[in-house]
Amino acid sequence: MINLPRDISSEKNLNDLILEVKNLRVSIETIDKRVEVLRGVDLKLKRGEVTAIVGESGSGKTTLAQAIIGVLDTPPVFIESGEIFFEGVKIFPQKERINFRGQGINMVFQEPLVSLNPVYTIRKQLEESIEVQGLHMKKKEIEEELKKILSDLMIRDAERVLNSYPHQLSGGMRQRVAIAMSMIQKPKLLILDEPTTGLDLLVQRKIIQLLLKLRSEFGTTLLIITHDLAVAANMADRMYVMYAGKIVESGTKEQVIRNPLHPYSKMLRDSVPSGYKDSGPLRVTEGNPPDISNLPSGCPFHPRCPVAMDICRKEEPSRKIVEDREVLCWLYDGK
Amino acid sequence: MMENKILEVRDLEVKFPVKSKLFSPKEEKFKTVIDKVSFSIVEGETFGIVGETGSGKSTIAKTLVGINYPSGGEIYLLGRKINFNRKSDLIFLRKNVGIIFQDPVGSLNPKLRIFDIILEGLNFEEKYTKEEKKSKVLEIAKKVGLNESKLYSYPSELSGGEKQRVSLARAIISPKKILILDEPTSSLDVSIQAQILNLLQNLKKELNLTYIFITHDFNVIKYMCDRLGVLYYGRMLEISEVKDAYENPLHPYTKDLMNANITIEGTSGFESELEMGEPERNGCIYLNSCRFKMDVCRSDPPLIQLNARYVKCWLYEESRREEYAKVNRGT
Repeated sequence: MINLPRDISSEKNLNDLILEVKNLRVSIETIDKRVEVLRGVDLKLKRGEVTAIVGESGSGKTTLAQAIIGVLDTPPVFIESGEIFFEGVKIFPQKERINFRGQGINMVFQEPLVSLNPVYTIRKQLEESIEVQGLHMKKKEIEEELKKILSDLMIRDAERVLNSYPHQLSGGMRQRVAIAMSMIQKPKLLILDEPTTGLDLLVQRKIIQLLLKLRSEFGTTLLIITHDLAVAANMADRMYVMYAGKIVESGTKEQVIRNPLHPYSKMLRDSVPSGYKDSGPLRVTEGNPPDISNLPSGCPFHPRCPVAMDICRKEEPSRKIVEDREVLCWLYDGK
Repeated sequence: MMENKILEVRDLEVKFPVKSKLFSPKEEKFKTVIDKVSFSIVEGETFGIVGETGSGKSTIAKTLVGINYPSGGEIYLLGRKINFNRKSDLIFLRKNVGIIFQDPVGSLNPKLRIFDIILEGLNFEEKYTKEEKKSKVLEIAKKVGLNESKLYSYPSELSGGEKQRVSLARAIISPKKILILDEPTSSLDVSIQAQILNLLQNLKKELNLTYIFITHDFNVIKYMCDRLGVLYYGRMLEISEVKDAYENPLHPYTKDLMNANITIEGTSGFESELEMGEPERNGCIYLNSCRFKMDVCRSDPPLIQLNARYVKCWLYEESRREEYAKVNRGT
């Protein structure tokens, strides 16, 4: 096992890339064929930034996150090709396993009830994530560390939470415990898969506040995976929009929300109701998200696209650069 | 206001028995899930009910179609008092009130074809022949935008949005006055949610329906509803026009909710830190989380009427309005 150098970050410029994904292709083996889930994804995360990946179910958001941290179910899921760099070090493909998890990249999974062990108390599980760092702390120090992280996460009755089992806590509390567990190791990059989905409004806001606080206090880089455009709009600096296994648009939050280039990003934005009742129907076309095992010819969005042209049905668009943003659409061909 | 009250709920109370402890089996305990909730619904409006998980939103919905029985209070539908122990009253209730549940998977029988599932909605109606029933199903499928070829598949072959359309078709195939929508879009993707919301708006106009819309999504409530009621641990804390509730919320809880709501326009009010406490059963239910708490809040406030709005908060009692105005200026 190769260990990453520990304080590589301090000497580097703060604007450097913490994570780079190049042309990542992932497919799932089914009984009769291989289905491509990610069809060439490029991603660049800047240190200290909050990046959001938005898209609907089946677009490959979660697969991308799992591929980055290396927890894909292989088989049936395979990484076909592509490279992943973390702080300039190639972490995939590598012959030897590299120790980048924990203090390097950490992930909070979508359903905390599944990622917490049901037969251990929260205390036991949090202690474990301190112990794996190999710092040989005394029992008392560990206890203090736990109390501190829980109060940072605005959990007031820390003693009760530490002594309970996961099923005894509410959804919001479990989510906070899961975040606490991954924050204990002070990762440089934290990936959060749908961090607020299914939580109540007030809890959702608390979690968002908290994550932004982590970023400003510890300089953690955040990668947020969500289907909720409002969450992305309130947290992210940079946004990537995914559709059918490809990134169809990227840009800063303001660019993507205020002035989306790709028709799909426009549709996503217009799907979120924002006005009162008399503000007219929502501008959305009929149709469903595509079936990845049976993608339409050409651009996979063309059956739902309000501005589809002939070429969209025949050929898949390649990446175009428009005003320093990347977009995958024939509309911007030759501009 | 001389508007037509289609449904009136007075002091509705729902209690569920709590499992007694192993060694005291005779002692029966009840948990009050809905605590003296009153509201009325005007014909043709969309009334929203918002609340957090466990606030009793779905319990109200289920009570209004007779799945749960109330343990206290009165429900008047079209002026007729519903006696939940009388079968004819329950049939009257179910003939006029339809419901769509949140989970489209759990509410469709996996062993029936879509055609038969939609047909279930006509079980009450005995007057139709087989041909008439078939044409009715085809007609309603067209109305909800369901492709005819899908009518002969099973629920597992349909996408989430299509399943919700099937639930909708089943609910309105026999004419209904009121349709209860219990989180109809929260399991759907945003673009599919938008399709369903548009469909609901059109159907309402076409069939003169009255909606009770239950959700925890504030952007959806704002877009769909005329009035809303805010529910917190089984108590209705505020009933207002949607515009009033968003621009000038009365109850401290509503204020907190509106402050916490996030839109795609970006950050609204992230400046204040929220303290969330446990609900207080003896007294104002929001006491432990409230920013404006006073001594009087240790007793449960009455539902106070302010013009067309209702609020369950001591701040709005006649003698305290000035005090409140001072507090409000201070913030």
